[in-house]
Amino acid sequence: MLTFILRRLLITIPMLLVISFLIYLGLELTPGDAVSYMINPELANQITAEQLDQMREALGLNKSFLERYSIWLFHVLQGDFGHSLSGGVAISTIVLDRLPATLELSIFALLFSTLIGCFFGTISALRRGSATDSTLTVVGMLGVSIPEFFFGLVALLVFALNLGWLPVGGRLLPEYDSYWDHLPNIILPGVVLSLMMTAGVMRYSRSAMLDSLSREFIRTARSKGLPEWRINLIHGFRVALTPVVVLIGFRLPTLIGGSVIIETVFQWPGVGNEFILAVRGSDYPLVMMIALFSVFAMLMASLIVDILTALIDPRVRLG
Amino acid sequence: MSSSALNKKFDRIRAQEEAGLLKTSTGNRALRKMMSNRLAMVGLIIFSIILLSSIFAPLLTSHDPQKIDLRSMLNSPSWDHIFGTDRTGRDVFARILYGGRVSILVGLGSALLSAVIGVGIGCYTGYRGGWIDVVALRVSEIFMSFPQIILVLLLVSIVGQSLINLIIIFVLSGWGSMYRLSRARMLSLREEEYVQALQSFGVSTVKICYKHILPNALGPIMVNVTLTTAMFILAEAGLSFLGLGVPLSIPTWGNILNVAQDLRVLQNNWWMWLPVGLVISLFVLSVNFIGDGLRDSTDSTLQG
Repeated sequence: MLTFILRRLLITIPMLLVISFLIYLGLELTPGDAVSYMINPELANQITAEQLDQMREALGLNKSFLERYSIWLFHVLQGDFGHSLSGGVAISTIVLDRLPATLELSIFALLFSTLIGCFFGTISALRRGSATDSTLTVVGMLGVSIPEFFFGLVALLVFALNLGWLPVGGRLLPEYDSYWDHLPNIILPGVVLSLMMTAGVMRYSRSAMLDSLSREFIRTARSKGLPEWRINLIHGFRVALTPVVVLIGFRLPTLIGGSVIIETVFQWPGVGNEFILAVRGSDYPLVMMIALFSVFAMLMASLIVDILTALIDPRVRLG
Repeated sequence: MSSSALNKKFDRIRAQEEAGLLKTSTGNRALRKMMSNRLAMVGLIIFSIILLSSIFAPLLTSHDPQKIDLRSMLNSPSWDHIFGTDRTGRDVFARILYGGRVSILVGLGSALLSAVIGVGIGCYTGYRGGWIDVVALRVSEIFMSFPQIILVLLLVSIVGQSLINLIIIFVLSGWGSMYRLSRARMLSLREEEYVQALQSFGVSTVKICYKHILPNALGPIMVNVTLTTAMFILAEAGLSFLGLGVPLSIPTWGNILNVAQDLRVLQNNWWMWLPVGLVISLFVLSVNFIGDGLRDSTDSTLQG
């Protein structure tokens, strides 16, 4: 198991290095360098080219590209991601500020969609060919076809604007006394974000369950006279779980990506919302660092998924 | 079934055959299987209706999608304006029809281009193997380690917004999965005996991969093209909704939905966003139905 994890890490780390290099390249190629942002525009014409060069030298900007990259990488590894162009706030502060909101939303959506998806997928597989099965299939298809922001808008209109049951948007409002007061705020964005993922998990767990139910050990279990629920749950579902775990890992990008748009629709103050603002405002350092950050999250997620599958299915780590 | 009943059945079939009633199986088996898939056929019909009405938009509406008419602002649906008018008096129905042209072009065009590039690289490198395969694989891994929308938005922020840029960006973010798929198919197909036979005849590598092996991998590739089209149409809608996709001056489905960010429009002017949202959903649904039907008819291992 340890060798498996080590081998997997050996793939992940070079990957991160290459991507950090590309991100740095992007930072260098986008207009402006640190010096041009440090100078007050009103004083710009009083500064000579020599003074600019001196400032660049003091900051180490005239070193070779590779040297600058390694200095930058060193800073990043220490948690210094540079500064946002608007307001000059440290990017690490912005990301750390926004991260809890995004994690909250993602974990809500992940749990909700996995539970609902596995439940309906299994029912669909057990009642294969029935009216329930075909209804669930079409509903699942609808789930991946409706743009999630459109679904979000309709939900917003019905439940927040017309019925007034749930708040329109936002997360922690000033009038909230305790942390749990904002629970109604997460329901709309959370459920909408889960929608697309639920459909995927449902389809996948249905076919995984069908596959595992057609295996020989199920026939063996049945011939032993085990009760049907035991065969389905203990014998069938456990084997069907492996591909579902893999799917959830593959769906993580959808989740991170989906939250970018959903966070904007519901004014949820997360990393995705910040990312959109940064793209709109051409705040390149912030755009690049959030992208780097999301790649890091993705690679870590796929690492964890791989380790989980190896734990569930011994064939993976031995193969 | 008893044997006499079986005999009768066969006699009946033979009689029909002799009378020339049963057609000998012409046409593609996969195609016939697809035709018998009800959902796929429904999908094909919806797809064709939306596609054709976008192409022949001038025949269906006399309104100009860009013509601003300040005397008829925010009209609710009427006989003249089926889906009403928007804040500057432009006809929403005409905008949906003309916008469909751009949205479908972006979705289908990017998916086809991604397929050409991804499959083109995947087939060759997968067949050749060696260092070129390793390089292509690593490059695709870099592209695929970004969450798709993050990569798209990152590139939008670097190269700026335009129709062509958006298609290029979509292709950059979409070729990886096509490449992976065709490479994986290639790895198993290149071991087949007919490939060895071709090699021993001295047929050139390029000809073996693209002319002889590729047709056998087309099924899953076509499925992937349809599913990618659906994905890109959703992505265009989402990006344009945020105002970061196709420039707002060009009507697309996403750009029409853009106004719904305003809560007042959302609450009071349903005709400005509801019809177009439904059209996008229906179109993507139809493409997904077609993709599913294609998968069922081309993949013999999938049953259920």
